[in-house]
Amino acid sequence: MNINANWLAAPVVIPLLFAASSLLAATRVNLRQMRIQRNLALIASVLNLGVALLLLYTTTIQDQRMVLYAGLWQAPFGITLVADALSAIMLTLTAVLMVTIVLYAIGTLDQREGLNFHPLLLFLLMGVNGAFLAGDLFNLYVFFEVLLMASFVLLSLGGRPGQVNGGLRYVVLNLLASTVFLTTAGVVYGTLGTLNLAHLAVRMEAAPLTLRIIVAGMLLIAYGSKAGLFPLFFWLPASYHTPHPAVTAIFGGLLTKVGIYALFRVFTLLFPDLLQAWQPLLLGIAGLTMLAGVFGAMAVNTIRRVLSFHIISQVGYMVMGLGLASSGNQLAIGFGLAAGIFYIMHHMIVKTALLMAGGAAELTMGTGQLKEGYLGGLVKRFPLLAAVFFVAAFSLAGIPPSSGFVSKLGLLQAALDSQHWMIAGVSLLVSALTLMSMVRLWQKGFAGKQHEDVLPPPRRPIYGFTLAPIIILVVISLGMGIFSDTFIRWSQTAADQLIDRAGYIEAVAPTDVIAPVSMDH
Amino acid sequence: MPELYLALLDRILTPVLLLLAVVFLLAGHNAPGGGFIAGLVVATAFLMQILARGDSFVRKLIGIYLQPAMGVGLLIALLSALTGIGNNGVFFQGVWWKLSLGSFELEFGSPTTFDIGVFLVVSAFVTSYLLELSRPAEGAAR
Repeated sequence: MNINANWLAAPVVIPLLFAASSLLAATRVNLRQMRIQRNLALIASVLNLGVALLLLYTTTIQDQRMVLYAGLWQAPFGITLVADALSAIMLTLTAVLMVTIVLYAIGTLDQREGLNFHPLLLFLLMGVNGAFLAGDLFNLYVFFEVLLMASFVLLSLGGRPGQVNGGLRYVVLNLLASTVFLTTAGVVYGTLGTLNLAHLAVRMEAAPLTLRIIVAGMLLIAYGSKAGLFPLFFWLPASYHTPHPAVTAIFGGLLTKVGIYALFRVFTLLFPDLLQAWQPLLLGIAGLTMLAGVFGAMAVNTIRRVLSFHIISQVGYMVMGLGLASSGNQLAIGFGLAAGIFYIMHHMIVKTALLMAGGAAELTMGTGQLKEGYLGGLVKRFPLLAAVFFVAAFSLAGIPPSSGFVSKLGLLQAALDSQHWMIAGVSLLVSALTLMSMVRLWQKGFAGKQHEDVLPPPRRPIYGFTLAPIIILVVISLGMGIFSDTFIRWSQTAADQLIDRAGYIEAVAPTDVIAPVSMDH
Repeated sequence: MPELYLALLDRILTPVLLLLAVVFLLAGHNAPGGGFIAGLVVATAFLMQILARGDSFVRKLIGIYLQPAMGVGLLIALLSALTGIGNNGVFFQGVWWKLSLGSFELEFGSPTTFDIGVFLVVSAFVTSYLLELSRPAEGAAR
């Protein structure tokens, strides 16, 4: 089946169309307007899921790449949108998370927090989708900015005291990373005369080593900071626990993974040689990120803070997959990359489920304190919520038959196969520590007993709309564990397409008529 | 009460700025100008109004239209990008219509409507931004 390339614009057009329409219904603060916005967001997220599945089918199952030249301007002159298997997998995961988060918001948002939440969510979706589809560095930057601005407003929505503080740190540190990114784009354009990724892949080979090292290093800093890698992760735990739980859930599932996607894309396409030369650096960052995240999680004392630190430790596993991308003995080269991609799939689903469940508990009890006596007794009060939290937490820790087990096993296999004992050991250790941390959450938060004198009993009930999306995500996670061969095949396709640079360049086919600026000056 | 010279300047400059914005909007695309710049010029005209007559006057005048204007502008821009898809075309492809008025021929295309959309978004956004900035701090003497 060959589908029209114009479909590639749909993941950007659909959210923008519905966000613009819901701006028309934003003149007054009332329940009717909020309902209109919510319904528009629900329709948009379902349509977006449909398009994402269509793209997933075309690129991943049929193993093709799709390219759209906006306005028929050939690459590298115009805006080029490219979808391969990795883009489509990320688009689909994003679309699934968006549908569930709109449902979750129905159950948890109150009226004041709800106004303009949905249009902002759609702008965020547009930015994320665009970043996954961008075929050149500059548009990648633009979509990064779109999602940064939308996420900043989402962070401060509702205006509770801690929010502005957390939001400010978030925006300042992310803007710094964006500045580094934009500077890099300037350096690239000034020296190589192009920003199109396929065109850059051709020209980067002929570029001097110093330039390649500078550009790769700066991009590693910029994307690494957005992804929450060691040592640039500190903005994340400072801000993620402050906004409404629905916002935390979508951020935790989505945002750092855009940075990881950019790292996967840029390093495999532009710097395949550095992927080998910098393997110790990448694996070192991966290991330190894992350790820093998991130790941070042990030191903090509210549900969402603990879960935020676990985002960091798990981003380390994904970078570990990238670090192992170019090595393999018994296993084929690219198995590590595939394992990393599978880890992203597992993580996005499970992390969002956990943050939703933890957020629901916080909302109901009025606090997320893990100290003795504050929370507790949730197993008896809300058995279903406790059950889904239990399954999601143990999937995160990597207990079979969940998706966490399969994805960690894949990474471990790749590490052992290429004889990287150190990172294999660290990943096992962090896995055990994650399990400990999850047990602590369970004991202090869900099991045990709440002391009535410390805190009044629950403030409000948990609605079906709050639980349904968590259940959907947990079921997906279990499905990914049980039918893992399908998902591993998809990630393998994505990894193979990433390694096949010539195929990407051929698909985009940049015309090479502008000479690069000479390197003399 | 604003200064007299501001009120005078406002009378003279506002129509000039608005006319200039229209010229920029239509001259754009191939010549300097375009929707973004025209939008900024319109916002400047509203800034003159804010300075000369106070922010509450401007807020009462256009406040509730700003957010819908951004929505409408985005929709216009998006729809003109989508017109490219018709006739087996591509997203964002320019579509041009010719209007014959006797000896005079008027060319009008989807890039122009895209610019009009951008113009609406930018002018509404920058104006609302300026209005927020000029809101007097709570408790401050007016």
